[in-house]
Amino acid sequence: MKTRRMARMRNQALLFAALTIFTFINLVPLIWAALTSVKNPADAFTIPPTIFFQPTLEYHREVWFARGFLHYLVNSLIVSAGTVLISVPIGSLAAYGLSRMQPRRASPILFGLFTIRMFPHMLLAIPFFVMGSFLKMIDTYPLLILALVAINQPFTIWLMYSFFLDIPRDLDEAAAIDGCNLWQTFRIVILPLVRPGLMVAALFSLLLSYNEFLFALVLTGIKTKTLPVAIASFGGEDVSDWSISAAGAIGIMLPIVVIMLFVQRHLVRGLTIGAVKG
Amino acid sequence: MNALLREPARLKRSPVMRLQRGLWLFLVPSFGLMTLVLLWPLGYAAYLSTFDYYLGSREMRFVGLANYAQLLGEARLWQSLWTTIVIALGSVGVEFALGFMLAFALYRLTFSVRVFMILLFLPHIITPVVATLFLKWILTSNWGLIDATLMTFNIGPPDWLGDPIWAKICVILADAWIFTPFVMLVLYAALQALDQAQIEAASIDGADSWRLIRHIILPSLAPVIVFTVSVRLMDVFRFFDAIYVLTGGGPGTATETVTMYTYQLGFQLLQVGKASALGIITLLIVAAIIATFSHILQRGYGRSG
Repeated sequence: MKTRRMARMRNQALLFAALTIFTFINLVPLIWAALTSVKNPADAFTIPPTIFFQPTLEYHREVWFARGFLHYLVNSLIVSAGTVLISVPIGSLAAYGLSRMQPRRASPILFGLFTIRMFPHMLLAIPFFVMGSFLKMIDTYPLLILALVAINQPFTIWLMYSFFLDIPRDLDEAAAIDGCNLWQTFRIVILPLVRPGLMVAALFSLLLSYNEFLFALVLTGIKTKTLPVAIASFGGEDVSDWSISAAGAIGIMLPIVVIMLFVQRHLVRGLTIGAVKG
Repeated sequence: MNALLREPARLKRSPVMRLQRGLWLFLVPSFGLMTLVLLWPLGYAAYLSTFDYYLGSREMRFVGLANYAQLLGEARLWQSLWTTIVIALGSVGVEFALGFMLAFALYRLTFSVRVFMILLFLPHIITPVVATLFLKWILTSNWGLIDATLMTFNIGPPDWLGDPIWAKICVILADAWIFTPFVMLVLYAALQALDQAQIEAASIDGADSWRLIRHIILPSLAPVIVFTVSVRLMDVFRFFDAIYVLTGGGPGTATETVTMYTYQLGFQLLQVGKASALGIITLLIVAAIIATFSHILQRGYGRSG
């Protein structure tokens, strides 16, 4: 009995050690960028790379204030907020409708949504760009927001659908017997119960629109450029700009880490919708 | 998908039934918007694909299916398709091998699982462009971390992003770095949903880890694996951010996938008609993948799911 427990503890320790090593190696690119962003040029290009040095926040200050990233952050926030504020309400409405329909009607629609979610985005980017040019809407917020809302819809609907399914139908029936019409049932009885779901959907939509690159790249210009587009085109080749670029990249990443701490309990549901049971 | 199969048998004859008709109204805003912003542009792309049309030029010359014919006769298209397949198989292979090992390790670990989960998940959740830049700063010749380290030991490193074969490998690794956490999470969730009693019974009967995985765990994970592979394969046809940042499709056209080629056609060469045709071809390929895998899933696992 005792030897078995010992063996088990040893296995756990080995497992822990292996995972720790892998996790560390896996995060080296990220750690390296974080170090680069706080290194002086004198320390940044020594060979072998230095690990001990005097850190500086100079580059973080420079990228946000002197290189215009603050402006791109505002653009990113406007676009993300706009997307969430449209996408989650209309997505929730549709999800509620689908969750209360007979499955034989809802299933093909949900499958259709799954298909739309798998559309190659490049195929949409071309007509978006051409139509946007005709309408003189390139480099405006509404165009990008509309595009992002549309491509986020299937995901939002699927996610909210799974939350609505968790609410027992008895509640709808009780509300109907008490004389609520459909809208009242939804608004007064059901919606308050899926508030955590709304929060998760909002955070995931925020994440998707904050991270989105292709549509932002082709539909924005100098005025409405978002953070991913800005960092992708920033001093790619010039080695001397690395520290500033690294500071920008780390800065863009930080809000995501915070959001992730909020959604981590729901990660499975958010990212694997449909893949696993439930 | 299985959520679809849950049968709420009690729905019939309930008072809610009387209100069923009104449910369609709830779909109107969302589906209206999707029709306007997804389906209409899609139709417009199909329309554009039959024209010889350069963006900015006044002329639009109707050419029927000539764009398609021209594309299918082009070596560059077939090469980009081949590149897409190589990258797809390479990255999906790495992601499943690594993702399963990680998922199984976390499944077996009895403490600090959540911390590992968060740390391992970081590369997937951060902005793909930013994640790829992190990798680029490691791989860049001379000044990247790998080269700088290797040169300390007087080892002359290959030109990671400048050599056609290494560039492909780097793109595969970039995709794997970003998407392995996703595969890991899906498999981990599936492992936790497994029948514990069956696994314990097998352990007591003396099955070692390997046999447990081979004969009990992998077969019961099969539906999830098939589904996830199909999602990842379709993703490769959208995979753009990382290639754009890491290699831009180069050197030459060594890492030019179908998506990259469409981008080049549409937004660099401004041949909108031809680019739309290529987009439609991509859509057909993705549709074929969806059809194949949903067929496999329905036939093999639909009833048991």
